[in-house]
Amino acid sequence: MAPLARFAAVAGARFGPGLAIWGLGLLLALSLPGTVWKAAQPPPFPWAALPPTLAAVALLGLAAPALVWLGGPGLARRRSLALLEAPPDLLWAAYLLALWPAVWGPPTLPAWLLAFLLAALPGEVHWLSQALPGEDPFPLAWGPRAQRRVRWLALRRLWPRWLAARLPLWLTATLVLERILGVPGLGSDWLARVSRRDRVGLAVWVMALALLWFISRAWDREHA
Amino acid sequence: MRSLFLVVCLLLVASSAPAQVVEESLSRDPGPLDFIQGEGYEQWIFQALAGDALVGLDPKGEPVPRLANRFNLLKDGRISFTLRSDVHFPDGSPLRPEDVLWTFQELLRNPKASPTKRAIFQGAAVGLDEGRLWIRSPKPPARLLMELARVPIAQANHPERGCGPFAFRQEPGAWVFSRRNHFLNPQVEGIRFRLLADPGAVQSALQKGWLSIGAPMSRRQTEVPPTHRLITQPMHAQQVVWSRLGPAPLRWLERWRKDAFPSQLLALNARPSRGLWPETLGFKSQAIAIQGPLPKPAGPLTLLYVGGNDAIEKLLLALRERARQDGVDLRLQPLEEGLLMARLQKGDFQLACATAIFDPHPWAVLEYLDPQGPMNFSGWSDARAQSLIPKLTEPGTAGWRTLQGHWAEHPAALPLLDIQSVIWVDRRLQVEPSVLGLYLHTPGAAGWRWLR
Repeated sequence: MAPLARFAAVAGARFGPGLAIWGLGLLLALSLPGTVWKAAQPPPFPWAALPPTLAAVALLGLAAPALVWLGGPGLARRRSLALLEAPPDLLWAAYLLALWPAVWGPPTLPAWLLAFLLAALPGEVHWLSQALPGEDPFPLAWGPRAQRRVRWLALRRLWPRWLAARLPLWLTATLVLERILGVPGLGSDWLARVSRRDRVGLAVWVMALALLWFISRAWDREHA
Repeated sequence: MRSLFLVVCLLLVASSAPAQVVEESLSRDPGPLDFIQGEGYEQWIFQALAGDALVGLDPKGEPVPRLANRFNLLKDGRISFTLRSDVHFPDGSPLRPEDVLWTFQELLRNPKASPTKRAIFQGAAVGLDEGRLWIRSPKPPARLLMELARVPIAQANHPERGCGPFAFRQEPGAWVFSRRNHFLNPQVEGIRFRLLADPGAVQSALQKGWLSIGAPMSRRQTEVPPTHRLITQPMHAQQVVWSRLGPAPLRWLERWRKDAFPSQLLALNARPSRGLWPETLGFKSQAIAIQGPLPKPAGPLTLLYVGGNDAIEKLLLALRERARQDGVDLRLQPLEEGLLMARLQKGDFQLACATAIFDPHPWAVLEYLDPQGPMNFSGWSDARAQSLIPKLTEPGTAGWRTLQGHWAEHPAALPLLDIQSVIWVDRRLQVEPSVLGLYLHTPGAAGWRWLR
């Protein structure tokens, strides 16, 4: 088989199903049904929200693996973690808003970041710890150092896949927090584009998320 | 010791002075401030703050001078406008008739211009005559003047720049309007809008004192915090049901709306409509003029409505129960707003319910009647009405009553509820409520004052 054809076959097998799903998403965005009574301009992209969102994602992307590295797969069975994971974003944001002292003024980005971590971190720690291989009898028998080494190796393999699976969700699912805390961000942006039927804007969103997925998949390449 | 006393006194005075910036919230992002392309209620508010129209509407809805301190009806049917000489844009350049002309021409030329504003200039010609602006329109002058109040003027080639009483700037997460040197002499330092899409969050922010003005959640209207007072304003807005099955279902709805809605559910936000067209626009209450027994529908009636609004859903459930008492099966089907609008425009519905916001003049009801009207979803037509409409040159004349009579003989829509705006306003802030809300009349926010 010619090298080009072999590359196409490997790439097709590796990216084909994912690309088909993202393509379907693109098609749905472009053919979104419905119309707006009095067409309004779509809002400008909230560029100002991008750095704090990336900071939040980076913090979560480091904090969750770090906690799992320390806690190991046993974290997945901790009842306290399950309790923290249970409340939806809405509840965390509402608690935070209720407890935020009036004299501090309206909550801003730090409050949003706190609510985001409170809402997302327990779930992500649970997700990662559940995906770790069991440690009993080995490497438990080899001692804590070997245990941490095995966790580190496993997390290094897991991390890109985990990012690829969760990044689109984090980037778009902060909508509830944004609505309640009054911090305009990426979640509000795509919702506004849906309600105003900005099909081109939505298509750009889908393509950006597809690009993130593609990069993470390319990064996650298995070495023979 | 004396200096310490002075410092303490100064601090006390400073702490007792009310905050000068009015804190407000928006339920959705209004998009960039744009006097040409901007559309939607939030844009209207922004444009009313940062811009000035030729004509304003006073709190009663009557035209008053704004940028034009005089307007004359010429013998050839044109209206000419004399502009004030003391108006400047934020860059210091004075308002010229060329700016007004550019705004109007851009609204007609730009394919992305606001459809509402472009409709105002449909069939109109604008020009300058010896430096004086004129407009000729097929619409009656009284209507044109009232509609011009919705067209703030932008500086030529700067669709984002107006000459209104407040200067606009965008901050991360906030839209800020600061007082300018302006002929309306605004008294409040400025107004800051934050995006608070969740009604519960607005309620919390009001209770914590972070908002000077806000709409409380309808089910908690009684708990006005001591720092705020309650203001209710009737609006030119109604919850309307359109029918594709002819006027018969509307006759049932006309009967049910009288006693279907419990007062606890209506609260202060709404009251049952009485007539066919908004009473706030000056129309007398008129019943459907069809005699004879009410024919029972052959099968269930399906009513489409915009889902997601708790208050409306509960009211419609009450309506369904009232229909059941008369043996009519009214089936409620929620839809997303865009999907409902597509069904309305395609005529793919039996009954459909949505909120209609009318322009502040009686000609707004023609949207129901015109063959191409944006609210004529069922192809309503009546030869007598079409011949009468061009003769309606003034509000409140006998022609309007005749027109309403024609509509009453075979209406295509019926209002269920007259909607009122219920807001909490900081006790220290003096505002003037009106049917146009707090912002859209003249002087609007420029007339607000902090009480000491």
